[in-house]
Amino acid sequence: MTDTTPDQIGGAPAAATDETKPFADFADKSGGYFAQTFLSIQKAKLPSTHINWLAAIAGFPWAAIRANKMLFWIGFLIDLVAAVYLMQVWKFSRAAEQAVIDGKDFLVVRYEDWTMSSLWAAVIIFVLGRVLFGWLADRIYFRQYNVWRVDHSKPSGWDMKRLIWAAVIVAMIAPLMLYRASQFPPEERTCIKQARSIAAGEEVAFKDQFDCMIIGEFPTIVWLERRDTVTYPRDDDGNRFVRREAPRDGLPPVNLNSYTAQLIDDGIGYLTAFYGFFFDGITTFLRSMLSAITAVFVGTPWIIAMGAIMAISYTMAGARITIFVAASLVYLALFGFWQTAMDTMSLVVAASIICVVFGLPLGIWVGKSTRGQAIITPILDIMQTIPSFVYLLPAVAFFSIGKPPGILATVIFAMPPMVRLTALGIKHVPENTKEAALAFGANPRQLLTKVELPQALPSIMAGVNQVVMMALSMVVVAALIGAGGMGFIVTEALANTRTGAGILAGIGIALLAMMIDRVVQKANTVKH
Amino acid sequence: MTENTEEGVVVTRNVWKIFGNRADEAMEAVRRDNLSKADVLEEFGAVVGVKDVSISVGEGEIFCIMGLSGSGKSTLVRHINRLIEPTGGEILINGANVGQLNAEELRAMRADKIGMVFQNMALLPHRTVRDNVALSLELRNVDAYTRAQVADRVIELVSLQGYGDRLPSELSGGMQQRVGLARAMAADPDILLMDEPFSALDPLIRRVLQDEFLELSKSMNKTTLFITHDLDEAIRMGSRIAIMKDGEIVQVGTPEDIVTNPADAYVADFVAGISKLKLLYAHTVMEPLAAYEARKGPVAQAEAPVAEPDDDLDKLIALSVNQDHPVLIKDDGNVVGVVSKDAILHGVQGEA
Ligand SMILES: Nc1ncnc2c1ncn2[C@@H]1O[C@H](COP(=O)(O)OP(=O)(O)O)[C@@H](O)[C@H]1O
Ligand SMILES: [Mg+2]
Repeated sequence: MTDTTPDQIGGAPAAATDETKPFADFADKSGGYFAQTFLSIQKAKLPSTHINWLAAIAGFPWAAIRANKMLFWIGFLIDLVAAVYLMQVWKFSRAAEQAVIDGKDFLVVRYEDWTMSSLWAAVIIFVLGRVLFGWLADRIYFRQYNVWRVDHSKPSGWDMKRLIWAAVIVAMIAPLMLYRASQFPPEERTCIKQARSIAAGEEVAFKDQFDCMIIGEFPTIVWLERRDTVTYPRDDDGNRFVRREAPRDGLPPVNLNSYTAQLIDDGIGYLTAFYGFFFDGITTFLRSMLSAITAVFVGTPWIIAMGAIMAISYTMAGARITIFVAASLVYLALFGFWQTAMDTMSLVVAASIICVVFGLPLGIWVGKSTRGQAIITPILDIMQTIPSFVYLLPAVAFFSIGKPPGILATVIFAMPPMVRLTALGIKHVPENTKEAALAFGANPRQLLTKVELPQALPSIMAGVNQVVMMALSMVVVAALIGAGGMGFIVTEALANTRTGAGILAGIGIALLAMMIDRVVQKANTVKH
Repeated sequence: MTENTEEGVVVTRNVWKIFGNRADEAMEAVRRDNLSKADVLEEFGAVVGVKDVSISVGEGEIFCIMGLSGSGKSTLVRHINRLIEPTGGEILINGANVGQLNAEELRAMRADKIGMVFQNMALLPHRTVRDNVALSLELRNVDAYTRAQVADRVIELVSLQGYGDRLPSELSGGMQQRVGLARAMAADPDILLMDEPFSALDPLIRRVLQDEFLELSKSMNKTTLFITHDLDEAIRMGSRIAIMKDGEIVQVGTPEDIVTNPADAYVADFVAGISKLKLLYAHTVMEPLAAYEARKGPVAQAEAPVAEPDDDLDKLIALSVNQDHPVLIKDDGNVVGVVSKDAILHGVQGEA
């Protein structure tokens, strides 16, 4: 009679109407079921408890047959983790038996505990994981349908041949994982010994070799002869010279790490020995700059300094922020942090000045020249990914400990935002204003000072603000290398577990930071 | 167009500009094979900005450059103060080759001789109106007192008195464009380059500024290159108009030339939408009296309205309504022709 009749007779209750036909075409096998399910997903009527039980029971092979990569990996991961716990059950129960034989009672108890908890973990992960898998199955499969709708060359339907691929993947991953879970990994020392005995021509069991290569630490592949020991003593005239001593005979070779570390040490030693005047010069400069600034901050009687700080804050940022500043200063004074805080401030100011003096021209260069950008940007990227206390290393290596290397590490750490934001500001100066200035006869210097810098000023000031904040945080860390200040109280408290003192100093540091931040930021927004 | 090439205040000789790494190669190829803009882009990855342009602008003239967006108007005019270096050809200002100036001479020329007004105003946002206007003086290290004096005078000239201490962001678009104009005129340059100065403004303000500029330029006698994409504006402002298409100049002439004799379909298209009332004159639409009488019989000369050869269509229409006679055109009392109502209607349609 009508076109729909054969379908209705065909048995499948939800046989493809026009609406659901693409669903059924996509799903191939069980087309009726998926037509129903997908339709209710489209109508947002799928019950939140809907679970594809076939998928839940079949697990990742179901996903493989349906060619859904995401479901395959989810299902495979669930089963793999469960299997790894099962292998641990086996490993620990064997270890428990061994402990019984060895008569180590406490080990017996521990291993039996671990056996039980591994067993529980395996069961829970497997059951809950499969339920989750069944819950996800149709929902994620529906996305595959959406992809297929746009592009019919994408996989669809039901195909047993896909199981071959799944089997290959499982075969590549599962055995090693499971083997690793069933074994206690060999210790590094055992493996080093083993490597020596192999070198000496002894027979070593294949299983032990395999364990050392595959399931322990990544095997040490590179062995290097030791380098000469290098020192830089002075000769009779007081001039330094290089003295090399070959390593003692019979010492074993070293790995790549130790070899390279010594290489770096030798390089640094050479530079400090022969170019010491350079580093001493920088140290002297930093020290005199710092003492000039310290003279202002620390040398001024507290009552005058406090008044001055509040007056500055009032003119720059207004009354409300000044109240906050006053309260913070009172906190610092009451808890006896005044001198130390001013010490810290001196360091921050010294470092910030250097950052601005060097960062501004650098930023202009980066902003105006593509070469500058190509050279500096990657360096800045690296500098910003390095954790702050790593900067302490080169500072100490070349400048020993104390305040000057502390300032130096701070400068390196706090410089990037100055360069970046200056460059950003310069780059974002509208082309048309530059063109206008050129059209009226500006030379390059006038273009910079009358057009570019003024328009980049908000960005530059944001850079200064960031520099100050970062300098403060780094100055605190620099206490680790003897820069003193508030950070010193914190590090000392850490070392002696004097938590209370540490917390009080920490609050002081936070107040300092907030004070500076509020005032500088407010000053920026007031101006623009 | 070429006859006064050597005399113009601003002269370009066969100026080419091709953007791209392979500009020279591309220029050779275009010359040899007469490639189109699209061909050059495909073959050399280069954009033809200006193609073999020779113009000459006389002293005191307002020379309009008209064309669709992307036709190379801005590129051409930026060659004149050498904001852009030509790929080929040369630019002369008062007979001196701009391409041969050294950096210092070039800056002096830009500061003293050439003022420029930009479509997007391009004012410096951090400076007051006065400091913006005085920019060219400041760049030449004129002292602050003189700067302020000059700036205030020019600000008055563009009717912005009282706004000297405001920032550009506090002014409306029309006022900002006046600041742009004042800035261009502050150094009292001989040459004004105006790159679509009024395009971004709404029509009423645009009208007002056009009239003001015409007034000013009449009294100050500056040589002006005026860019626009609006033929109406070009006709209002220009003593001559150059029409550009794909970097080339397709026609140069007085507004009437352009309207009555469009050089090609491109120009004709522009002209089609233009009101001819003020552009066509009696001498273009009239026919000899004899020819008219041969068709229609004698004209009652005593009753017919009379006009002069230089009267425009607008006037002829006013004369010919409410009566049935054609308009007689008399020059020094002698009848030189006659304009029928049909001729007027054809004229309005642009078919002289
Ligand atoms: N700096 C540039 N680099 C590449 N192509 C450009 C550059 N400036 C302009 N052009 C191209 O030159 C052509 C003319 O541009 P332009 O002179 O700005 O046109 P107009 O001012 O008439 O709108 C356009 O096709 C444009 O894309
Ligand atoms: Mg333009």
